Amino acid sequence: MGLPISQILLVTGFCLILIGLAGILVHRNILRIIIGFSLIDTGIHVVMVATGYVTGGTAPIIDAAMDKADGATNAVDPIPSALVVTAIVIGFSVTAIMLSFAIRLYDARKTLDIGAFTESKW
Amino acid sequence: MVEALTHPLNIFLFGLGGSFLIPLLYRIAKPLPAMIFVLALVGIAAVSGVCLWAVYHGQPVLESFTGGSAPPYSINLRVGPWEGVCAFSVNVVALLAAWHLWDRLRQNYAAQLLFLLLIMGVNGMVMTRDLFNLFVFLEIASIATYGLLGFDGTPAALTAGFKYILATVLASTFFLLGSALLYHVIGTLNIDDMIVNRALIAGPIGTTALVLVLSCLIIELKPFPANGWGLDVYQSASSGVAALVSGVVSAGVFFALFKLLPLFENYLTLIAVSGGITFLFSNLAGLRQTNVQRMLGYSSIAQMGLLTLALALMRQLGAEASMPLVVGGLFVNHLLAKAGLFFLAGAVNRPRVDGWSALAGRPLTMLIFAILLIAIAGLPPFPGFWSKWELVIRVAAAGHLGWIAVILIGSLLEIAYMFRWFKQVTHTVEQGAIDVPPGHLLPAGLCAVLLSVSGYVAANLSGAASLWIFAPLGAAAFLCLFDWLPGRLKSFLMLITVLVLGIWIVGPVEGIGRLFALLLLSGGLVIASASFYRADPRPGYYPLMALLLLSIAALLRTRTSLEFFFSWEMITLSSYFLIAHARGAYPHALPFLLFSIASAFCLLAGFAMAAAVNGTIDLSAFGAAGKDAWPAFVLLAVGFLIKAGAAGVHIWLPGAYAEADDDLSAMLSAVVSKVAIFGLFSITYLAIRSDIGLDMAHVMGWIGLLTTLLGAAMALRQTDIKRMLAYSSMSQLGYIVTAIALMSHLGWVTAFYLVANHLMVKGILFLAVAGVILRTGTRLLEENGGLVRNMPFTFAAVATALISMSGLPPLAGFGGKWLLLSAMVEKGWYGLAALAVLATFGGFLYMFRLAYTVFLGERKARFNAIAEAPLALLVPQYVLIVAIFTLTFFPKLFMDPVSAAIDPAFASTLVWDGMSLETIYGYWNPIPVMAITVAIAMALFFVVWLRYIYGYRRAPTTGVTVFYAFYQPVLSRLLRPVAIAFWRGISDLTLSAAGSVRKTYTGDGQTYCLYVLWYVIAIYVTGTLIRS
Repeated sequence: MGLPISQILLVTGFCLILIGLAGILVHRNILRIIIGFSLIDTGIHVVMVATGYVTGGTAPIIDAAMDKADGATNAVDPIPSALVVTAIVIGFSVTAIMLSFAIRLYDARKTLDIGAFTESKW
Repeated sequence: MVEALTHPLNIFLFGLGGSFLIPLLYRIAKPLPAMIFVLALVGIAAVSGVCLWAVYHGQPVLESFTGGSAPPYSINLRVGPWEGVCAFSVNVVALLAAWHLWDRLRQNYAAQLLFLLLIMGVNGMVMTRDLFNLFVFLEIASIATYGLLGFDGTPAALTAGFKYILATVLASTFFLLGSALLYHVIGTLNIDDMIVNRALIAGPIGTTALVLVLSCLIIELKPFPANGWGLDVYQSASSGVAALVSGVVSAGVFFALFKLLPLFENYLTLIAVSGGITFLFSNLAGLRQTNVQRMLGYSSIAQMGLLTLALALMRQLGAEASMPLVVGGLFVNHLLAKAGLFFLAGAVNRPRVDGWSALAGRPLTMLIFAILLIAIAGLPPFPGFWSKWELVIRVAAAGHLGWIAVILIGSLLEIAYMFRWFKQVTHTVEQGAIDVPPGHLLPAGLCAVLLSVSGYVAANLSGAASLWIFAPLGAAAFLCLFDWLPGRLKSFLMLITVLVLGIWIVGPVEGIGRLFALLLLSGGLVIASASFYRADPRPGYYPLMALLLLSIAALLRTRTSLEFFFSWEMITLSSYFLIAHARGAYPHALPFLLFSIASAFCLLAGFAMAAAVNGTIDLSAFGAAGKDAWPAFVLLAVGFLIKAGAAGVHIWLPGAYAEADDDLSAMLSAVVSKVAIFGLFSITYLAIRSDIGLDMAHVMGWIGLLTTLLGAAMALRQTDIKRMLAYSSMSQLGYIVTAIALMSHLGWVTAFYLVANHLMVKGILFLAVAGVILRTGTRLLEENGGLVRNMPFTFAAVATALISMSGLPPLAGFGGKWLLLSAMVEKGWYGLAALAVLATFGGFLYMFRLAYTVFLGERKARFNAIAEAPLALLVPQYVLIVAIFTLTFFPKLFMDPVSAAIDPAFASTLVWDGMSLETIYGYWNPIPVMAITVAIAMALFFVVWLRYIYGYRRAPTTGVTVFYAFYQPVLSRLLRPVAIAFWRGISDLTLSAAGSVRKTYTGDGQTYCLYVLWYVIAIYVTGTLIRS
């Protein structure tokens, strides 16, 4: 058997984060920058889920098939998944608010180039 | 029932419930959301208040478990003393901000919703004990902030808001990643469990996770240079929102850092360095700001840097007991003062600093403005003062002198730009004055009131609160209430208050302090009574005068260096505001303040270092100080010399003395300047009994005489009477410094004698000049002339003062000079003695010029009809003349107590031990010394006169005026404005450094993201290096 799924996920997640960061720093268009942020978010979500993975673990449901003692070793850790759900919601609303700012900024200047919005400085 | 209502979780019920109800009720009826909003906000504040009350009254920490199970299986929230204070103060500021923003909030239910969510989010950040829950609350607060920023509408505000979003989202991304990894390493999200098991957080993943969480918190606190996004928001958001971001949101983040600090035990130095750099550089860049809100932003960021620095240092030094005073005090101080300043900036609505001159002549607004500025500058009596004191003392005790320098230099820079802002208000411009409606002023005013209350609480915490030390402030506040009365009545009230309270304050004072108390209090009252000559209301003048005089009295009573420093700063502040009161003084008041504060900071550093060596802040411990205490003594001496206007650091003096109100100049020169002398006196007095070397005394002697000479020479050059007297004052103080530096019994008796003599002489001269200016309307020497027939009594007073000051027999000055020369000869300082003779000669020359040019000489035709000076000015002068005569003819009355006060403290170090002053007089034969002095002075005069006669042939003019004019070119060749050029150079250098620093902020959102990323990487690299 090759790499465990969690490691593949971790690598993918961190790659997504790096791609997102590069997107933020390379692109001048506000919408692309926002996409960069979404990519970072997604990457982090993937990393979080991966950290909770237990190789060969089952669903974390304590029932007749699995008692409490087994749960700690044989089941996937449910907490990261729970956290991810919250994080997705937060990421969603942050993206939404960034997009709404982008719309307002475009209305004000008729451009989405971030270099056009430097009136307050020093 | 009540208990259920005041459960801490109700804060979230109010917050979330209110937020859900608001849009719903908006559909039903338009005014309903506003009612719900107010109800929910007041509810949040009330619940946090009740919780704080409960905790304060000894209830154990309030723990709330959610979901019916104990942590770590559920999220728990905690309200302890720290959480209670933080949440309650944040909620109070939120209420004030809602009041401030009400015009906008009322029309916009969405803004109300966001406001409520923001406050709830910050409360959650403060109370939660779960790391992920902390993240959620951080995001709730952040998203609500983004929303509020979006409501401002202007393109600049939108742009700034977007940059803010970019940077903070990046930061919170790191927090999320960090907390997920932390959970992976340690298996819990409960903060308490994490702290208990913090040893498990190791290895590459654990370290990275920790560093990521730390970087997020530091970034959210806007560290230099990754903080351009914060500055832009402070500048362009509406003042209310900026206040929320600066006070409330930062408070939540700071509390998160505070809460998680035990996890960052290994990174404390890193946190402190980050805070220190931010404090220093933000304040530096603030110097160049002209936009009010951006300037407040720089100050805001700097203050958060200071807080971070203080937090990390206190933790590192293990000074948990000082935490409430240092961290709590700085926190509350910044929260209230900065929010108040933002509210005020919004209410005044002048975006540029120079537009604030429109506030001139609005006493209430100016009072609020001044209180907020004093508080943010960390000056007494507000909490920041007590916190900074404790911080510096603790840091000095640990021997970290570099940190003291960072804290004090940063504070000085902040005071510079904050009070440059205040300078505008004292600069009267006739057009465009504005009236701020009381309703708009209320939030800022309440902040000022709360600051005063918390200042008293902080004083209690630091153990310095006593009735007498706050009595001057109480008296000033009392007199403020009667500020609507006519001027003369207020003056009378002030004199009575000062007399009664002053006698009560100095009652228990003994020794040298008692003598100074007697002299300064009575002298102060006599000179202050001259204010009867002005009938105008002079708003604020009399409360400040009471504050000044009573603070001087309190200073003489102090037993600890904290009390001394407190009273010292009160004297500085009250004299600054008094000087700023005068119309023409506005360019000169700021240098006065800055040099005074620099002097005060030297004292603070000196006291802190002495406390570190002595182990106590008792002033009496100085006497037992060992050799290690010498740097402290040097700093203290430097501090007092700056305040005494010693040569080189004198440049603040002439402007301040000359441009102050005429009767105030008399007070400053005669009474207030003696405070520095008292300080020098007490310190050297204690130093001589300690083991430290006295080599610096000789240096001080030279500084003193150099000051005397320079002062005299510059006085000779002046054409303005008040400037001349100002330089004369500097010159005379130089003698006193030299006399103190003699470090002998005779030297000190002399110093005290000179203090008394100078007080009376300068009091008379400045008051006489006040009369002349009142009658002739000009301060220039040459424009006056021949007033002796119009103002004979004033002339007689000036002549008496002249004789006494120049040291001519038979008046008191003669005795003083004689004592001084004797003491120098006794000590073997012949070079200095010769200089003293030369300076005496210079002193005589300029004094003679004053008397001759103004009163003798040719009378200008337009002065034919002018009258004698008013009685209100003459009476104090003649009281002082009576004092001079008493001093002259009954020196024993004066000398015996002086000698007695100084004697018992000495054992064998003094030659004159055991002899009464009469014996000294008897033992010393004055005739040879005086004969030589007079002979030299005559010879000098003869030489100068010959030179003049010789030159006169080439310059065919006549008269005494010409005699002086003839020597002007010589003087101007000798006296280059070196000191002014030097200080101007320092100022230009600082400003250009500030200009370069602020170029970091390009305004480009992407660049700001890059800074944030670099900052995280820098923290990561240094953090890993520290760890390994």
